[in-house]
Amino acid sequence: MYRTSLRLTLTYLSPMVVGVGLISLFPILYNVYISFTNQNLYHFRQYSIVGFVNYGKLFQGLDADFFIVLGRTFLFVAICIPLFLAVGMAAAMALNHPSVRFKPFWRVALIVPWAVPSYITALVWKFFFNEDFGTLNQLYRVVAGPHAGLPWLSDPTWAFASIVIANVWMSYPFFMIVILGALQSIPSELYEAAAVDGAPAWSQFRRITVPLLRPAILPATILSAIVTFNVLNTAYLITKGGPFISAAKPGATDFVMVYAFRVAFQLFNYSYIAAFAVVIFFLLFTVTLGSLRFTGLVREEAR
Amino acid sequence: MRTGAFSRYGVPILIHAFLVAMLIFALFPVFFVLQAAFRPGQSLYSLTLSLWPDHPTWDNFVYIWTRVPFPTWLKNSLGIGIGTMIAGLIGSATGAYALARFRFAGKRMTLILLLAIQAFPTVLALVPIYIILRTVGLIGSPFGLMLAYVAGALVFSTWNLKGYFDTIPRELDEAALIDGCTVTQAFIRIVLPLSLPALAVTALLMFLTAWNEWVMAQTLLLSEDAYTVPVGLWGLQDNYRIPWGYFAAGSLLVSIPVMVLFLGLQQYFRSGLTVGGVKG
Repeated sequence: MYRTSLRLTLTYLSPMVVGVGLISLFPILYNVYISFTNQNLYHFRQYSIVGFVNYGKLFQGLDADFFIVLGRTFLFVAICIPLFLAVGMAAAMALNHPSVRFKPFWRVALIVPWAVPSYITALVWKFFFNEDFGTLNQLYRVVAGPHAGLPWLSDPTWAFASIVIANVWMSYPFFMIVILGALQSIPSELYEAAAVDGAPAWSQFRRITVPLLRPAILPATILSAIVTFNVLNTAYLITKGGPFISAAKPGATDFVMVYAFRVAFQLFNYSYIAAFAVVIFFLLFTVTLGSLRFTGLVREEAR
Repeated sequence: MRTGAFSRYGVPILIHAFLVAMLIFALFPVFFVLQAAFRPGQSLYSLTLSLWPDHPTWDNFVYIWTRVPFPTWLKNSLGIGIGTMIAGLIGSATGAYALARFRFAGKRMTLILLLAIQAFPTVLALVPIYIILRTVGLIGSPFGLMLAYVAGALVFSTWNLKGYFDTIPRELDEAALIDGCTVTQAFIRIVLPLSLPALAVTALLMFLTAWNEWVMAQTLLLSEDAYTVPVGLWGLQDNYRIPWGYFAAGSLLVSIPVMVLFLGLQQYFRSGLTVGGVKG
């Protein structure tokens, strides 16, 4: 940690700070302002300040859209993240094994899903999940007879699972690369020493690999959890938030961003969604800050 | 020795079986796009599984390249992606270096603020971003879209690079400072070369963010000439049916630059340079 002149510090920081401040911070502040107005389709230009009305609508009762959407999104993240981690970790450890040859081939081949644009990913999986022509049901019919079919996108639970599958496909390479990078920076002397001391593979994994991977995995997991919480393309483009049981209630895959995008850009209820965004933001921020404090990352920085 | 034989033959076999399974999982959707691109008309809409078209054709590629402004979209996407990558890399590398090594007031606050911004859903910031770009006269221009991407990419990349700079032993650049290097020289000659793997990964992430983005591009680009590939391809679909062949052909064409970039940069994914530096 070195002391530098104020000018040098500013020179280093300003490109990042100015960029982030202008195009990221200002819109957030503006959004807070909108949340206290009644701007929507009917009051687009002549809107007025209405106070906390939008916030009141959010918390109208335990069966309010807000709680349904939020609970469903938490469940989605809680199912997705362990799957991303497990698949990414397994792939990274397999790639890092000394017996694997042609490593560049395997690495590139397994990164491929990451290179596929998410709007294309969404359309491909949407086709796979199609009940009549979809590849998954074509395969299923080979096993279960010509008239069988799984309700991939029409049943709420199946639709939820479908979005999880598409997201695992799309997201595991990120963890694989992060973990692989960290694995390769672990000095092999540590394992050699452990092997000399007679430590079995499992305790080498627990005592050397996991602790040394933690600094790389933790930030990646937190960021990925936020990205997954904010899932839009893969859910919106595959299911449009549905299937819907009633028109007035959020659909089975109406995750936070899908719901917000639908209400803001199809129903044009800007102010309500602005309030929704403010609450979601405080929630995400608290979770992020809490987990960082818990892991001691921020405290370490305060030195 | 049973355990010896198992770890010599059993473990590698299991690992390779797993890798092959992963390979099928990872590549089947890509293969699907490949065969769809060569499939004529609507023959994809079939009840039985067909892995390869009976009469493969280049028609979809010809259509996408000549009948729609696809080359222009590709050029826009490449320009925006590379611009985002370079501007983002400069901003995040310098910012991350200051956050990792300098001592200054408000550092903790800066880090927390970056996290806070990361926590804000991008799509909801679309309306204010639209207003800013309109005010400065950049609405509808690829440059304006690039600025929006850079700001978003900066937050993630700064955190990512700072985390990596923290793992580089301080003794290395401190020794250089004692030997008379300036802070900037230590940054350029010692920290950056040791960070090549992290820089490569970060650069790739920023490029992909811009390359894959659809929602913002859809909102901020107004004319067909300014479209990026995602907006252009999306605009191809009519109300009834997704034109699968065109989509697939377009998707293949947009994955080529990404694959080239991947193959070019993947050697830097191998880490372990830091350790080498300490050993001497």
